[in-house]
Amino acid sequence: MKQRIQLTVNGETHDLVVTPTRTLLDVIRDDLGLTGTKRGCDLGACGACAVLLDGRPVNACLVLAVEASGQEIVTIEAIASGGKLHPVQEAFVQQGAVQCGFCTPGLVVTVKALLDERPNASESEIREAISGNICRCTGYVKVLDAVRAAAREQMGVAR
Amino acid sequence: MRMDDIEYHMPETLPQACALLSAHGAAAALLAGGTDVVIALKYGVLGARHLVSLKRIPGLSEVTREPGGGLTIGALVKLSDVAGSAAVRSVCAALAEAAGQAGSPLLRNRGTLGGNVCLETRCWFYNQNESWRDSRPPCLKAGGDQCYVNRTQNQCVALFSADTPAALIAGGARVRLAGPRGERSLPIEDLYSNDGLRPLARENGEILTAVTLPAPRPRSGSAYLKYSVRESIDFPVFGVAASVALDSKGGIGDLRLAVTGVKTAPMRLVEFEAALRDRAVPQENDSGLAGIASRTLGTLYLTDTVPHKRHVAGLMAVEAVCRAAAAARDGRTA
Repeated sequence: MKQRIQLTVNGETHDLVVTPTRTLLDVIRDDLGLTGTKRGCDLGACGACAVLLDGRPVNACLVLAVEASGQEIVTIEAIASGGKLHPVQEAFVQQGAVQCGFCTPGLVVTVKALLDERPNASESEIREAISGNICRCTGYVKVLDAVRAAAREQMGVAR
Repeated sequence: MRMDDIEYHMPETLPQACALLSAHGAAAALLAGGTDVVIALKYGVLGARHLVSLKRIPGLSEVTREPGGGLTIGALVKLSDVAGSAAVRSVCAALAEAAGQAGSPLLRNRGTLGGNVCLETRCWFYNQNESWRDSRPPCLKAGGDQCYVNRTQNQCVALFSADTPAALIAGGARVRLAGPRGERSLPIEDLYSNDGLRPLARENGEILTAVTLPAPRPRSGSAYLKYSVRESIDFPVFGVAASVALDSKGGIGDLRLAVTGVKTAPMRLVEFEAALRDRAVPQENDSGLAGIASRTLGTLYLTDTVPHKRHVAGLMAVEAVCRAAAAARDGRTA
C-alpha cells in the first residue's frame, strides 16, 4: 500500500507517495530527477549511491524511502554552491582523481562528511572513511591525494 | 533490483510492535537499519509480507552507563556509534573493535547493534539473487528440501556471520527481550538456537531491546580480530574475540573466547579456554596452541571459498588472546 512521505532533499521538502519497497535511491533518481547519485551494485557494497542522511554518509540503495521521511538528505548536486565547486570537488579535479566518474559522487559525499567532522583526519582515518566506496579505475592513489589536498585547503581557509 | 510489494507498519510503541509481530508470525520481519533486510527483500529470500519498522519506538537508541560500572546499549544504536563510543571502549574494547569492523563505514551508519546481534545466518547458496538461485531447486533455507553444502545429513548449516556477538559473548553480555508476555533478560549465548534455518531462540512477538555488559573485571583487556576476504564491506570468514583477566603473576587468570563465522551460532571455544587458563600469556606464534584452537572448531562447513580457514582461525585465536592480554597489561581495561 502506498504511503505519503515528506523528504527534505538539498534543503527542499517534497511531498511524495511511494510504495514501501522503493528505496531512497529510486526516489531521488526517478521521482526527483537527481541522477548525480549512481546505482552501482544496488546492495550496499560499492558506495556509488552514497548520500548524506542527517549528515552521515549512507548507501541510499538500502534506505527505504518511507524510512527517510522527516530526515535531511544531501546529494552530490548540493555539494557545489553558487556555481562554485566545493574544495573536495576542486581537489578531485586538480589531482586527477576522476576517470570514468561513476564512483565520484559517492566518494565526494563521503569525503565531504569526513572532512566536515574531522578536518584533521589522519591517513588511516581517511582510508577507513572511504573503504565503503569502490573505484575500479583509479587505484585510489589520486583519490587519496585529492582528499589530502582538500583537507589542506580547508585547514588553510579555516586559519 | 525490484522488490515484491510488502505491507509497511510504523508502530509508535514497543507493545504495538510486539503485537504486530505476534499477529503476523513468520510473515513479519523487523526493520531496524535495514542493511540486511532490504538486501534480503531484493534477493527475494525474505518471505515476509509485513515489515515492522522500529524507527518510531523511543528509548532504544541510548548508551547508558550503569551505577555498578556496566553498560546498557539500546538495540537501535548504530554500529558506527557503538564503535566510536568511549563508554563502550572502556567497558568492552572488543565490542568497539567488532562494531567498527562490521561492513563498511556507510553500512555502519545505518546498521544497528540489535540488527547485528540478530543477523540472519548466511550461505553462498542462499544469499544470492533470484536468477542465481533459479538455476537449481531452492535450498532448505529458501524453503526447499535440500542443503547444497551438508549433503550427507541434509541439515541447514548456514553460518552465523555477525561480528559483534563474538565480542559480546567474550564480554559476558546479556540481552533484553520484550514480548507479548513481558520482558526477559538472558545471557547472549542463549539467544542462539544453533539452527541454520531459524538462528534465534526468540519467541513469536519478541523484540531485542538492549544489550547489557557487566563492569569489566579487574586487570582485564579484550580484543576482536576479523579475517575477511577484503578488509572492508565483507562479512567475517572468521572472527574471534577474547577477554582476558590477568592474575597476580601477570598470567591468564580467566579467559573468555568466542568465534563467529564457524557454525550456525557464535560459539565459545571452551576447550581452548581451559587449555590457557592459569598459564602464562602465550607467544603469538605458538603453533601448538593454534592447533588446539583449530581442532576445537569441529566440523567446518565451508559455505565460503577459503580452504585454509581452519589454519588461519587457530593462529587468530592465539593472537586474540595475546592482544587481549596486552590490553589488560596496558591498563586499557576490558
